Amino acid sequence: MVVTYISAMLLVFVLTFHLLLQSPLTGKAFEDTLSFGYATGNLVYYKLVFGLLLLTAVVHGLNGIRVLAIEWFHPMRGRWVLNLVIVALMAFFLAIGSFTLLVVS
Amino acid sequence: MKQTRRYKSGLIASLNPLNFNVERWSYAIHRATGVILVGYLMAHIFETFQLGAGPAAWANTMSALHSLGPLEMVGLWIVAGSALYHGANGIRLILNEMFGKLMGKPILPVYPYSPTSLGRNQRVAVWTITALVLALWVWAGFYLMAGLGVV
Repeated sequence: MVVTYISAMLLVFVLTFHLLLQSPLTGKAFEDTLSFGYATGNLVYYKLVFGLLLLTAVVHGLNGIRVLAIEWFHPMRGRWVLNLVIVALMAFFLAIGSFTLLVVS
Repeated sequence: MKQTRRYKSGLIASLNPLNFNVERWSYAIHRATGVILVGYLMAHIFETFQLGAGPAAWANTMSALHSLGPLEMVGLWIVAGSALYHGANGIRLILNEMFGKLMGKPILPVYPYSPTSLGRNQRVAVWTITALVLALWVWAGFYLMAGLGVV
């Protein structure tokens, strides 16, 4: 639960920041915020924020799926398999996201 | 009498959405929006991966998404609504569960177990969140649909 709460509180801030960068408050139409220059510019300029967003979103989201699976199916024996799959998925998506951040910057 | 019959109907009645109270509805919507957001997160990580392949690959990805037509913006609108609700309700849950705020004082469980957690503060919080999220969701809808020329 500690992982859920801490990642959730961090997510509230970094995701709000990310959504504000895509919002009308930037003075741009939504289509313009999807341009290559704007997207890569944000990733380079706010690299640390997007890195934190990637980490917290992946950990919070996949941990949430793990909790849902436990709530619905109550796995008595296979919980370590579930944990292993979730950690592997976390590592996979963190690797792809980190690779994107490194290549773009 | 009617209420007692409903309580005695057991598991089947507990799964009937018509029997949900506002807290159970918010629980169900929180779980559903969470699953939607995880699905989108995975797709979004793959989508932004194309940024690393250069402007041509990004343009191809965008044109593939635009080929979905209005479905693209409707999908983003659903994701925006999910993020708004999950975030706002999540803050309420953190206040409840981590800091013990907005909850009633614990009492002995006496049949038919009316939930003490659904006091006035909690109801106000739930309905304030619902109103705020709906207002922001409508605003997000106007912003997203403007690109389609709908608005």
